Amino acid sequence: MSQLETNGERLPRPQQTRRRWTWAAIALALLTGCLEPQASRLINLWHQMRPEDRAVLNARIEAFERQHPGVKVRALYKETEELRSGLVSAVLARRGPEVIYGPSDVLGVYQAMGALEDMSPYLPPEDLAAFDPRAVIRVPSRDDPARSELVFLGDRFGNHLALVYNKRFIAKAPETTDELVALARQHTVDENGDGVPDRFGIVWNYTEPFFFIPFLTGYGAWVYREPVDDVHAPTPALDTPQAVEAYRFVASLRTEHRVLPPSADYEAARALFLAGKAAMLIDGDWSWQNYLTDENVDAGLAVLPTVSATGLPMAPMVAPKGYSLGSFAQGDQARLAMELIRFLTDAETQKAYLVQQRILPSRLALRVDPLVTGDPLMATSVAQAERGRAMPTDVAMRNVWDAMRPPYQLLLAGQIDAAEAGRRMQRDAIDKNRAMLSRTAADETVVVLYGLGLAAIAALAVFQRHSFTAFFRELRRNRLAYLLVLPAMALMGLTVVYPLAYNVVLSFSNMSLTNLRDWEIIGVKNYASIAAGEHAGQFWGVFLKTLLWTALNVSLHVVLGVLLAVTLHGPVRGKSIYRVLLIIPWAVPAYITALTWRGMFDEQFGAVNHLIRAVSGYLPGFLRLEPLNWLGAAGPAFAACIIANVWLGFPFMMVIALGGLQGIPAELYEAARMDRASRWQQFWHITLPMLKPVLVPAVTLGAVWTFNNLNVVWLVSNGGEPADQTHILVSYVYKAVFNMYQYGYGAALSMVIFLMLLAFSLVFLQRTRATEAVA
Amino acid sequence: MREPLPITVLRHAVLLLFVAIAMWPVMDVISISIRPGNRLRTTELELVPYDATLDSYRRLLADATFWRWLGNSMLVAGAVTITGVTLASIGGYAFSRFRFVGRQAMMISILTTQMFPATMLLLPLYLMIARLGLINTYAGLCVFYVSTALPFCVWQMKGFYDTIPHSLEEAARIDGCSQWVAFRRVILPLASPGLVITALFSFMSAWSEYIVAAQILQDRDMFTLPVGLKSFQSSLSTQWGLYAAASLLVSLPVVVVFILLSRYLVSGLTLGSVKE
Repeated sequence: MSQLETNGERLPRPQQTRRRWTWAAIALALLTGCLEPQASRLINLWHQMRPEDRAVLNARIEAFERQHPGVKVRALYKETEELRSGLVSAVLARRGPEVIYGPSDVLGVYQAMGALEDMSPYLPPEDLAAFDPRAVIRVPSRDDPARSELVFLGDRFGNHLALVYNKRFIAKAPETTDELVALARQHTVDENGDGVPDRFGIVWNYTEPFFFIPFLTGYGAWVYREPVDDVHAPTPALDTPQAVEAYRFVASLRTEHRVLPPSADYEAARALFLAGKAAMLIDGDWSWQNYLTDENVDAGLAVLPTVSATGLPMAPMVAPKGYSLGSFAQGDQARLAMELIRFLTDAETQKAYLVQQRILPSRLALRVDPLVTGDPLMATSVAQAERGRAMPTDVAMRNVWDAMRPPYQLLLAGQIDAAEAGRRMQRDAIDKNRAMLSRTAADETVVVLYGLGLAAIAALAVFQRHSFTAFFRELRRNRLAYLLVLPAMALMGLTVVYPLAYNVVLSFSNMSLTNLRDWEIIGVKNYASIAAGEHAGQFWGVFLKTLLWTALNVSLHVVLGVLLAVTLHGPVRGKSIYRVLLIIPWAVPAYITALTWRGMFDEQFGAVNHLIRAVSGYLPGFLRLEPLNWLGAAGPAFAACIIANVWLGFPFMMVIALGGLQGIPAELYEAARMDRASRWQQFWHITLPMLKPVLVPAVTLGAVWTFNNLNVVWLVSNGGEPADQTHILVSYVYKAVFNMYQYGYGAALSMVIFLMLLAFSLVFLQRTRATEAVA
Repeated sequence: MREPLPITVLRHAVLLLFVAIAMWPVMDVISISIRPGNRLRTTELELVPYDATLDSYRRLLADATFWRWLGNSMLVAGAVTITGVTLASIGGYAFSRFRFVGRQAMMISILTTQMFPATMLLLPLYLMIARLGLINTYAGLCVFYVSTALPFCVWQMKGFYDTIPHSLEEAARIDGCSQWVAFRRVILPLASPGLVITALFSFMSAWSEYIVAAQILQDRDMFTLPVGLKSFQSSLSTQWGLYAAASLLVSLPVVVVFILLSRYLVSGLTLGSVKE
């Protein structure tokens, strides 16, 4: 080091020195200045409050802070998935929110992972009597299933669905499903006579089975077998004759009565109704106020009808939303957190929500408030909520949703029939329960595994001992080189190698929802089940799809990139402007464009279908395209993902190819022209071979990135929709880990991905090098 | 040399077609962002709606927290860029010019970091950052961003140095400079196009990252722009107009930087191969 300094001092460099100090100061400020503020008492609250309701929440939190000087409440909004994965991390790091606010349906999951604390020591029973009993939830204790713990105190009631109708078309809301079908048929009309209806009788969000529950209950079915046989994993009842009748009814609305649009997610359903293109809509209590006050529609709200075939009312699920105590708080901190919970569920807070947002309170005393009884919306809401069935809170409910979603989507797309949908739902729900809740035991491969590990380390020590000694010799000789790579390698080592090692260990373990902390090494079972388990067929299918995905994307990237580079590399006027505009897809953050493409592929409102409709009139017959239900079927949805990704990736290859073109000496082309080579021959015999050294690393890297590109597939297909048919391996892993909490299995899968890519890159680089050596 | 007219026309036709394709989704976002809130979903192909409004932008820009988040993002992305470029420029130089034991292994291990599904690294990484006590600090965020951007940056810098002839340093060494000084005075200035591109990548990877930031940052006042803007959203009723406007505002700085640097892009982006 001293040698460097003396050498450096020969040259005057006061400016550089000053600059360097500024950098150091900035780095120091970053490291020290931004450490967490030391508030005297800090309560963390993770919540899922809608934006409209946050004003009330914030005001009440401020009131609480005024009452408790020195206490700061840090409220943080988290989306459903973020809240769940955040809690997993929090449980593992033993550091998390003291108070959690959200819907009750995830309580079983939170309890299973150990994120919740029993609130009953802090809440006197007479306090609880003031609440609707459905808003006070107890779940079995983790240690002793016979004992139950109070884990949830609701501040509101609802999440229930009801019927919203457009009064311009429908004078009186239907009271039975027969009336509903008749009205829907009457109001499904093709106004411009192009054979496609311009207005539909009824619409709802088809992607979520939550919206289907009222049909299920109306036909006398329920998601679980009754009475419930197991508190943790009740047996699902998704294939009962009553349930199948319900599927059949919904499918008949689509196929027989033709009153439903071909596809509708939540946004589309809402937009159709607001645009006057749907006479009726099924939607939840969070949205009613918006419809009733919207100037463009004259909306009415009614209780869901009675099913004519059974005489039973369609009963939506109702769920309270409320507060839980996180297991991260102890002693005084827990007492303070409970004071906050009691404050935020008191009569004053609930009244504020009622007045400002028309939210149904969980305190019974407020139910007789004139604001509730005197308001038609609130009266309907109460009537509908009273018909509703409480949403289950156990772990298995999540599996029911996940099992219902794909067959339900297929049913509505007309791809499977009602009986088949029921069979698939039931089978998947049982499978998923088993996968999530069973605990894999260690087997004899553990011994083999440890043996192999030790053998590998020993082999490394023996065979590589020369390199190690050489390394230490080198360390002295080539000190500058090691000094230069040290910071970069150390940082990458810290943040890549450690997680990687962690992942290797995890891949041999049985870590899952119920044993986040006390997992153990179980041998190679996870790997075995990937290659030959009951879902192995699915794995190989996804694997092939991933290969197709990578090959198509990369080859299109290269072809388009080279085409554009060759076009741009020449005497073109406005070259720099073209170049700037063509790299736009690369410059815009990918998650934004991925979501934009999803919107553009929407069947009703998407720009892609608008364009198809607009231009198809001018094209000759064989080129004419039909507007496609892009995201509703597996093939087009996968195509949509590829289109979006090709769009995102071609500028990178174009820039790489442009750089390569600049490196080709002009004399080569001149010589070729002398020899009267055609443009095509020049391209084929000069341009392409000369581009190869530049393109090979870019293709390698591009293939690896594309193979691992979660963002585009996940966002464009909304997590593998329809029916989990658009997964590539990374999104499949993501789903296994984040939906099913199979951390061991997910880790093993990502190791497989990693090894495949490693093998590919090494072979590919070797091959391309070998051919070069020959040529 | 002039080209025959059909070729020129063909060139422009291809370029115009792809410019249209490249701009299409961007136009779509712009169009959504200026549509009034009650008709975000239309069935018309119009670009600028008859009742266009800048309401979404007004709402965002008038929000004081927006500016705060913007500042936070600038701070984080700036710090990541400076550290990333510094480390990559010296590390890449060593890989390009020195032959030392472990070099090949290190180069390959840098490449392999790109092969692991990044989402699987999240959980262990969070645990590590928690153990270091860096939750809810920018330092924790920066450590993560720099280390995820570094592999590409080191590779890219190494590739760029490879294109600079060795003879230049040799001349400097003959004049009595040490290798370090030759690097600082001779090579680094020549490498500026490569440095610019490396800086751009570091900046981009930090600027628009969301998932990690959402896990690490706990305080609304400390949010970076993507996390902040996402908090406007709720599960079922996305405010599309606001979201589109916000997306454009997040993208704008990156796009501007990209455009300003686009002339370096072609000469500066090189991906060296692993082996010699």
